[in-house]
Amino acid sequence: MGMAMNRKEHFALSLFCILLAPSAYTAPVEITLPAETATLRESTLPGYTLALQKCSICHSVDYIKFQPPGMTLEQWTDEMTKMQHSYGAPIDAQEIGSIAAYLAVSYGSAEATDAAVIAVSAPKSATAAATIDVDELLNANACMGCHSIDTKIVGPAFLDVATKYAGQANAESRLSISIKSGGAGKWGQIPMPPMSGLSDAQAKALAAYILKQ
Amino acid sequence: MSDGRDSAPKSRRDFLRHSGALAAAALPAAAFASGDTGEGVTFAAGPRPLVRYPGKREMILVHARPPHLETPFSIFDESVITPNDAFFVRYHLADIPTSIDPETYRLTVKGAVNEILSLSLSDLKAMPGQAEIVAVNECTGNSRGYFSPRVFGAQLGNGAMGNARWTGVSLKAVLEQAGVKAGAQQVTFNGLDKPVMATTPDFRKSLEIDHALSPEPLLAWNMNGEQLPFLNGYPLKLIVPGYYGSYWVKHLSEIEVLDHAFDGHDSYFMTKGYRIPDNDCACVEPGTTPDKMRPTSTLTVRSFITNVKPGTTISADRAVELKGIAFDGGQGIKSVAVSTDGGKSWSNATLGENLGRFSFREWRLSVIFAKKGKVMLMVRATSNSGEVQPEKASWNPAGYLRNVVESILVTIA
Repeated sequence: MGMAMNRKEHFALSLFCILLAPSAYTAPVEITLPAETATLRESTLPGYTLALQKCSICHSVDYIKFQPPGMTLEQWTDEMTKMQHSYGAPIDAQEIGSIAAYLAVSYGSAEATDAAVIAVSAPKSATAAATIDVDELLNANACMGCHSIDTKIVGPAFLDVATKYAGQANAESRLSISIKSGGAGKWGQIPMPPMSGLSDAQAKALAAYILKQ
Repeated sequence: MSDGRDSAPKSRRDFLRHSGALAAAALPAAAFASGDTGEGVTFAAGPRPLVRYPGKREMILVHARPPHLETPFSIFDESVITPNDAFFVRYHLADIPTSIDPETYRLTVKGAVNEILSLSLSDLKAMPGQAEIVAVNECTGNSRGYFSPRVFGAQLGNGAMGNARWTGVSLKAVLEQAGVKAGAQQVTFNGLDKPVMATTPDFRKSLEIDHALSPEPLLAWNMNGEQLPFLNGYPLKLIVPGYYGSYWVKHLSEIEVLDHAFDGHDSYFMTKGYRIPDNDCACVEPGTTPDKMRPTSTLTVRSFITNVKPGTTISADRAVELKGIAFDGGQGIKSVAVSTDGGKSWSNATLGENLGRFSFREWRLSVIFAKKGKVMLMVRATSNSGEVQPEKASWNPAGYLRNVVESILVTIA
């Protein structure tokens, strides 16, 4: 690059490349997958936000919509437990109950007024007022399942995100909006689920942390 | 966004309304192809849309990420070989490859072997042991949507199966080139698809060493004379004739010979998933938990009528030809019997061309319906080893291996 080359050298290099090239060169075979269109039924149950955030990390939500009708809260709870135990879904026992309650009400036989649904749908003990611990947020939201500081996993490295936003106006607030809304296409085909359960302050703290890398 | 709750019954009504009387000897099943994506299955929030994916015609969406597409059932009436662009697609993990360079692609063979191999596609195509076989690939959970009581999982109709001619090199030849060491027990297979999160097990399957060194398993690059469709495992797919589709690893990139039983985090889809009750019927009482499980293996014997849809009206007093397919796990089909009186009496159908013991086998039977009214059509296959389809559906917790005698209610008018 940037090196002067006379015509003879250039010819010799071209010939070299042709001779080295495989005899039947074929381009990579590529596909582009259609965009996901399935969405979850909206709900005021706390499990709705969690489902958006956690289920969508590993699969589209048509997995949920096309299950049998009429499954019970107990059945949905068993299924969420399987997601955690068998497939390593980043959900704790409280989140299993909360997501299962939302799914059993929205897609199964349960009602939002059922005592069992109310019992497991209590929002997480509020830490919102307390100081924001970035490590705890990264852990609770399974960020490091898809990201690392300096290497691309399925999501971009935090370093690459910091580089992209470097020097841009309002980088912190723009990145915090991006974290809360999720999306696909900027960094690859696998979408990032919306982290809509985060407060604005929590999203900003995460954005500031990422931009510091 | 709102979506209609439980809209499958509506599809069923649409279907009934659109199905006209069948007068001619050839029953035009393809006329009923569009619209009925539920195939008689109900969903929490259906209907399933028809979608176009790379290399595929319109298919029924089971889920988008990772891709899972079901073949509309009418396809099985068109030919005994399933077209590549209509063949079902099923992935387990969402980090799937979307760009593969055939020049740099390599298959690694490692583990308990004398020589670690790194084989290009050209290497594989130049090896001894080139082979071709017609074989059915059926999803373990094909027809899960018809289980009663219902179970979680992909709510498939009968379209998660297909029959194709696979061309490649025998697995045995590849393993022999590497030189399997004494004491080898199992062989594992891994493809380029990966889990999104490291906490999710990778999708890997294993075969016993004797099975891996048997003549049947194949590493295929061609399907029905064409390059493998990307979503069916381009550029190389493990073909395990007679075994359920989960073994047919796509985008095959790594073969490892083990001197012990496959275990650990990434053995999930052998040691915990894809398992059935360890008894003769692979079944338990509905709703109960089996004591002991074993991995799935060979296909159960099945048969279908492909040219009649439920609810069809057929004219009385003239010959109509019923037609369909039958298959099993590799014994081959001995006979196919059809009942036009709900199972009271049975007539043997005429079997079509034999494309090999792992293939769909076409059958035909000319029938004259004398009495008018509702009639239950049934079809029942028997394999060469005497395995017969059961008259009553068995049940297992994962919704696998369905093979009850198929019944179709029609009206004779």
